[in-house]
Amino acid sequence: MRELTAGEMLDRLPCGVVSFVDNGTIVAINAPLAALLGYERGELAGRHVETLLSISARIFFQTHLFPLVRLHGRAEEMFVLFRCKDGRDVGTLLNAVRHELEGGAVTDCVVMEVRERQKFEDALIRAKQAAEAATAALERRTHEIEQANELLEQQTVELELQQHQLQDSTAELEAQAEEMAAINDQLVARTHDLEQARNVAEEANRAKSQFLAVMSHELRTPLNAIGGYAQLIDLGVHGAVTDAQHEALARITRSQRHLLSLINEVLNLARIESGHVEYATEDVPLAEAVAAVMPMVETQMLAAGLTYETAVAPELVARADREKIQQILINLLTNALKFTPSGGRLTVTGRRDGDGCVALDVADSGIGIAADKLESVFEPFVQVDVSHTRRREGSGLGLAISRDLARGMGGDLRARSELGRGSTFSLVLPAP
Amino acid sequence: MPADVLSRNNVKVSGAGTQPMLFAHGFGCDQNMWRFITPAFADDYRIVTFDYVGAGKSDLNAYDPGRYASLDGYAQDVLDVDHALDLHEVIFVGHSVSSMIGVLAANREPERFARLVMIGPSPRYVNEGTSYVGGFERADIEGLLETMDRNYVGWANFLAPAIMKNPERPELGAELTESFCSTDPIIARLFAKATFFADNRNDLPRVRVPALVLQCTDDIIAPTVVGEYVHQQTPGSTFRMMQATGHCPHMSAPEETIALIREYLQSAAIA
Repeated sequence: MRELTAGEMLDRLPCGVVSFVDNGTIVAINAPLAALLGYERGELAGRHVETLLSISARIFFQTHLFPLVRLHGRAEEMFVLFRCKDGRDVGTLLNAVRHELEGGAVTDCVVMEVRERQKFEDALIRAKQAAEAATAALERRTHEIEQANELLEQQTVELELQQHQLQDSTAELEAQAEEMAAINDQLVARTHDLEQARNVAEEANRAKSQFLAVMSHELRTPLNAIGGYAQLIDLGVHGAVTDAQHEALARITRSQRHLLSLINEVLNLARIESGHVEYATEDVPLAEAVAAVMPMVETQMLAAGLTYETAVAPELVARADREKIQQILINLLTNALKFTPSGGRLTVTGRRDGDGCVALDVADSGIGIAADKLESVFEPFVQVDVSHTRRREGSGLGLAISRDLARGMGGDLRARSELGRGSTFSLVLPAP
Repeated sequence: MPADVLSRNNVKVSGAGTQPMLFAHGFGCDQNMWRFITPAFADDYRIVTFDYVGAGKSDLNAYDPGRYASLDGYAQDVLDVDHALDLHEVIFVGHSVSSMIGVLAANREPERFARLVMIGPSPRYVNEGTSYVGGFERADIEGLLETMDRNYVGWANFLAPAIMKNPERPELGAELTESFCSTDPIIARLFAKATFFADNRNDLPRVRVPALVLQCTDDIIAPTVVGEYVHQQTPGSTFRMMQATGHCPHMSAPEETIALIREYLQSAAIA
């Protein structure tokens, strides 16, 4: 086999070869490149190399490829679009080397078509462009996020501020709650103390009630027995009774009754003070109440040599307990009887009192009460000590009981007096 | 801050003369492109070369997408260099897009400039219906951007790190950084848009500085019809058709380029 000439070898290479001088004129081109571009080799002799390129590749050739080769002597792996005779563009990779020769410089180029590689590069470029777009979008997004983040940080600061305020408020509330709890504890303790005190009081009250019950039973039963047996003896059931014995029995009976009445009054006062009195409140015409009690004391007044007078208008009405009014009146009249000498005079007068009240004045022409003793007549077990000869009976509880009853009905019992000029007791009661 | 600008724009000053020649590179390159031209003028002029921010060895940290979204930002780079070196009577030599950048700078501070030399100028690359022929449709420019993506992004970005880490061929990393004059693909893309979508046709009639238009034969980027348009629209301009073909006569035909510039400067000096 004969050796190939250089020209034959160039035309058998699996790549394009083209040589041109600095002004671009082609001085050599191999058959494969001419075939790739669709030319007969003869058509290309003397043409400028850039006329074989696409328009954009011509610019690139003049601005990049030629300056590179001219200034640095070589160019490697340049992507260059060749334009075929039929107008198609062919992507190629081009290596070029410039040789200074006698009579001018020549640039030799090796050209390889890139098809699959171009697709791969296309994909890379698209991926890179997409990555750049994504990066730009990411940067915008990052910027937005940073802005949002700033906003969030501001809001966080505000929230922290509010949280601090809330914590302060909470601390205040907790402090207040602690104070409240302390107060509550005190209240509970106080309530506990009060309950204990109430228990003690209730215990005392029970003891008092028990005492009253015992008193009622243990004292009145023997007193009734004393009275009963004294009567039987006086009636001669146990044999003849002498005058002197009658006289003694009468004294026993009087003392027995006095003692019994004393015990009853003590029990009454105790009941009132312990709040065990119930009031049956109704509209009570004062004239009726007075008319009901006067007959009860009339006999005693006549016996005592006293006269009396009543003056109560029928329109005067009290809102009170009828029986309690009558009890108070009897008490006041009985007192007046005791302390008014024979020939004296009692008056019962009705009137209106201020502030929607009505009043009954029970006046006597008796010995009167010194001003400094006037208030003490209402205290239990007090009798104003005066010198007069009549024997005084009673426990000294009457006025105390009467005033408690009057006050229990929303009224009052008042006294005014002058020594030697008699006394006036006023029962004041609420009007309807 | 002059020192900042000199560093920012990688400004290089040389030459034995006093009148400054300021060389401004075009899109896709850096000041290295002038290395076949500047030695010819070094004896008679003060040679100033620089890289626009975003290109060559400029300070990429100084790149402001807002400022460099239009050619006005690049014109400010030119004026910044003028101010930093306190240049006057400047002979501005601009390639391609830098021709229009020079027009913008000279219109803003015409007193600083003595001459404009425009190599392959185009005030508008995109056709405007039938009223203006720029040479390109919008789709062509989009295609350029895609080709750039494929080479900057698809190639340099994906493969460069692997190559640069190859300890057996350390020269590859160094070569790679010089393989493209602007190594940042995003900046290159924005410069491409600022360049190829610019329309500086209205700036040409306002030029008050004498200008030379150097037009290559068969220039696919700045066709002859465009060069003639520039000449017609620019008052007091001189038009020279070159034997050189392509778009980069200062690299492909430096002798002719030098001769035409020198001839223009000498005739202007006499006039």
